[in-house]
Amino acid sequence: MKSKLSAESNYDVLELSGEIDLHYSPQLREMILGSLKNGNSLLINMAEVSYIDSSGIASLVEGFQTAKTANLSYGLLTISSPALEVLTLTRLDRVFTLYDTIEQFQSQL
Amino acid sequence: MAAAEKLLEFQFPARSAYLCTLREKLREVLGPCSPSEELLNCVVLAVSEACVNIIEHAYCEDDTGDIILEIERQDDNIIFRLTDFAHRKTSKEEMKSRPLEEIRPGGLGCHIINEIMDEVQLIECNSDCGNVLQMKKKLEP
Repeated sequence: MKSKLSAESNYDVLELSGEIDLHYSPQLREMILGSLKNGNSLLINMAEVSYIDSSGIASLVEGFQTAKTANLSYGLLTISSPALEVLTLTRLDRVFTLYDTIEQFQSQL
Repeated sequence: MAAAEKLLEFQFPARSAYLCTLREKLREVLGPCSPSEELLNCVVLAVSEACVNIIEHAYCEDDTGDIILEIERQDDNIIFRLTDFAHRKTSKEEMKSRPLEEIRPGGLGCHIINEIMDEVQLIECNSDCGNVLQMKKKLEP
């Protein structure tokens, strides 16, 4: 997994690529929760994620719950088809807010 | 029914750093007999999830060891057998899916395995330690 966190004026963008499994999910969890604990809304770009397992999904769910509690916006951007397949299997595609463009996310901040 | 043809026997340490190698092996072996990329992705995910469960729940805390993955082909069915040598025995209850209405982290691995595979069963083994999980999937378009 590769990742890049960048700060915009009123939210953070986390860009992920490669394979996210049990080996990398603790690192993902730390980045997501770190951003949210700073009080920033978070948009996670998953266009280049080639694989994600249940441990990676668990990190995304924990972020979702933390953002909801803190009243912060939290969404997934341009999800790759392998990642969308896993979200659909676990029916979490109905839980997360999925965005096609950054502008869609910005418009609801 | 044709005799089972062994496609792979691969032994590796039950550690998360080896999951990537495991998936590479699965793609290498199953790629030529998989009718679609989508099906291949699903099968690779299910087997990797089963290994994650072994690493996290069978081998836990100080217990470490290996996993053996055996893959056989019988007609259109692919049979996956995962053997571990953990001191902790896995129960059939632990292999059940949890309700998806509960939005919480964790516990989705078994659901993914059960959704993708046609058959999932823990095989009784006589030894004091270790578990054998067998999964079957028909490779059809």
